Amino acid sequence: MVPATRAVFRELLRRELEERYRGSLLGAAWLVLLPLLQLAVLAWVFGQLMPARAHAGTLPYAAFLALGLWPWNLFANAANRGVTALTDNAALIGKVAVPHTLYVDARVAASVAVDLAGFVLVLAVLLAFGVGLAPWGLPGAAAGLAVVAVYALAAARLLAVLQVFLRDIAAVIGQLLVLGFFLTPILYDRSLLPAAAAKWLALNPLVAPVETVRRALSGDAPDWVALGLSLAVGAVLLLLANAFFRRARSHLEDFL
Amino acid sequence: MTALPLVEAVGLAKRYPVLGQRGDRASALWDVLRGRKPRRVVSVLEGVGFQVYAGESLAIIGENGAGKSTLLKLVTGVLTPSEGHVHTRGTVGALLELGAGFHPELSGRDNVRLSAALHGMDADALAAKLPEIEAFADIGAYLDEPVKHYSSGMVVRLGFAVIAAVRPALLITDEVLAVGDEAFQRKCIRWLDEYLASGGTLLLVSHSLYHVQKLCRSAIWLHEGRVAAQGDVFEVSQRYLAAQEARLKGESAAPASLAQPEYSVESVTINGVAGNGAVVVAAGGQVVQDVVLRSRDGRAPVMLNGWVRGDGTPVYGVSSEMDAVPAQALGDGCFRFRLCFDALPLLPGSYRLRASALDTEGLRLFDTLDREISVTGQAREYGTVRLPHRWLGPGE
Repeated sequence: MVPATRAVFRELLRRELEERYRGSLLGAAWLVLLPLLQLAVLAWVFGQLMPARAHAGTLPYAAFLALGLWPWNLFANAANRGVTALTDNAALIGKVAVPHTLYVDARVAASVAVDLAGFVLVLAVLLAFGVGLAPWGLPGAAAGLAVVAVYALAAARLLAVLQVFLRDIAAVIGQLLVLGFFLTPILYDRSLLPAAAAKWLALNPLVAPVETVRRALSGDAPDWVALGLSLAVGAVLLLLANAFFRRARSHLEDFL
Repeated sequence: MTALPLVEAVGLAKRYPVLGQRGDRASALWDVLRGRKPRRVVSVLEGVGFQVYAGESLAIIGENGAGKSTLLKLVTGVLTPSEGHVHTRGTVGALLELGAGFHPELSGRDNVRLSAALHGMDADALAAKLPEIEAFADIGAYLDEPVKHYSSGMVVRLGFAVIAAVRPALLITDEVLAVGDEAFQRKCIRWLDEYLASGGTLLLVSHSLYHVQKLCRSAIWLHEGRVAAQGDVFEVSQRYLAAQEARLKGESAAPASLAQPEYSVESVTINGVAGNGAVVVAAGGQVVQDVVLRSRDGRAPVMLNGWVRGDGTPVYGVSSEMDAVPAQALGDGCFRFRLCFDALPLLPGSYRLRASALDTEGLRLFDTLDREISVTGQAREYGTVRLPHRWLGPGE
C-alpha cells in the first residue's frame, strides 16, 4: 500500500492539534491563553509573592525563568507525549501499513509547534512590557531551539518504541523529566552553583541549548562550542533512535 | 501489460511471540535489540503461498482462528512475515476492519480525510471525490458528528464509501459485508460486482459462502494456519462445507444425515384430501388440516401451521407449542396434529397452507410441506382477510 505520506502526516498532525482542546469551550484559544496565563503566574509568584533574583543580570526573574522554561518544555512535552505515540495509535498501526515514524513525528511536530508558538507569544509580551530582550539574539536562540528539537525527536522515537515493549516507560518518564528539569539551569543560573556541581551539570546535553536560548535573547554571546557538542551528541542519539526504530519495526505489531 | 501477479506470496509463515508472563516483554525487547528471533512463539500461519493476477478474485475461508486475518495483514504489509515473503504491485486498498483507525472523537469528515490519505489519496484527489463519498455513505448530516455517535452500520458505510472512492487495483476486505443493513449490503455487493467486472481484483475473507461464491472464482481454505485446499471456489467451498458438516456430526452424538432430517412432515391431509394436490375451499367454509410428522428419535415434535398468500405474503401462523397442544402419538415415531379452522375468514384467492415440523423445544425448523388452497366465493371487499366488523347506527 502506498499511502500519500505527506497527506497522512498532515492529517495526523491536524488530528494531534485538534484533539488537544476538543470539547473545551475556548478551543484553539487555549493555545494563546495557556502560555499567557503561565507567564502571568510566574510574574506574580516571583515578582510579587516571593521576589527572587537569579543572577546579576538585568532581567526580571519571571523573564529569566520564561527564557529557560519554554525551551525546556519544548523538549519535555514532546518527549512526554511522544512516549505513547505508537501505543495510542495501536488500532491504526494494526490496520494500515504506514511508516511508523509518522505517528511519532506528527505528535512531536504538533507538540513542538504549540510550544514554539507559545514561546514566540511570551517573547512578544515580554517585549511589550519593556523587558530588555535582545532581538539580534534571535538567530542564536533559534539555533538553540533547533538543537532542543533534535533531542525531542530522538527521545520521542526511542521512548515510543520502548513503550511498545515495556509499558512501564510512560510512568517512569514523567518522573525522569521532573528530575531533568532540576538538573537543567532553568530555575537558577549555572554560575550560582558550587563549582563542583556546575561541572557535573555540563554532562546534561540539554544544558547547552537551553542556556544558548537564554543567553542569546538576553544579549550575551552564546557558547557555540558547547552548542555544537550538544548538537553532535543529539545527532548521534537521533541516529541511534532511528536504528533502533528500524530494527524493532517488524516486531512492533506483535507487541501492540 | 505483462502478466505479473498483483499479489505473490511465497511460503508465508507468521509466529507471534508468547507474551503470557510479565518478564516476556522485557526478554522480547532484549531479543529484538540483539537481532535474535524470539524464543517462545505461537505459530499462526505456516507455508502459505498463492498468487493473484489482475482481474482475479480470491476468497480465503476457514474457521475462526484459522489465520485468515493474519494472512490479510501480511499481504497489506501491516504485519511482517516470520518466514517467506509477499509482494504486491499497484495500489492496495484494505478494509481490514470497519472504520479502521477512525478516531471516535473526530467527525466523520475529519476521519474520511485521514482515511483517504492512508489509502494514498492526496488532498486534491479527495476534494474531487468528497461528494461521491458523501453520496455513497449516505449518512447525511452525521458526517459532521463525532464518529462515536455513529451506529456500527454508519461506520461501515463511511469506511466502504472511502474505499469505493479510492478504487484500488487490489481490494482486501475482511468480513466487512456482514455488518450494515440489507440495503447497504446490496449496495456494496453491487459495487463489488461492478468493480470486479471493470477489472478490479479482490481478496476476500468471509464466512458467508454465498458472498464467497458470488464474488470470487478461486479460494483458499485455511485450517489451523495451513492451506487445507486451494483452487476453484466451488470445489474448495464444498470441501470446506463437507468438513464442517463432518465435524458437526462428530460433535453431536446422534448420527445425523442430510437426507433425512430429525423431524419431517410425513403427510398433510386437508379436508380429507390426501396427497400434494390443490384443494378447493369455499370462503367461510371449514378447513381441517390433518398433519402427520415423523420424529427419528421418537421425541414428540412441534407442528407449525402457516397460511401464505399465493405471492408469498404471510397471513397467519400458529404452532402447537403456542397453544400448548400435545402431539398425538401414532407409534413408530409418527405424531399427528389436527387443526381445524371453522368459518375460514380468508377472502377468495389462492393461498398455500403450510405445515412445518419443529423440534420438541419448538426452536428449530426441520421440514416444511405446502399445499395449494384456492378459496372460492364472491366478495367485493379488499384485502386478504374478512375482519369481524359492524357499522354503528346513530343511537349507539
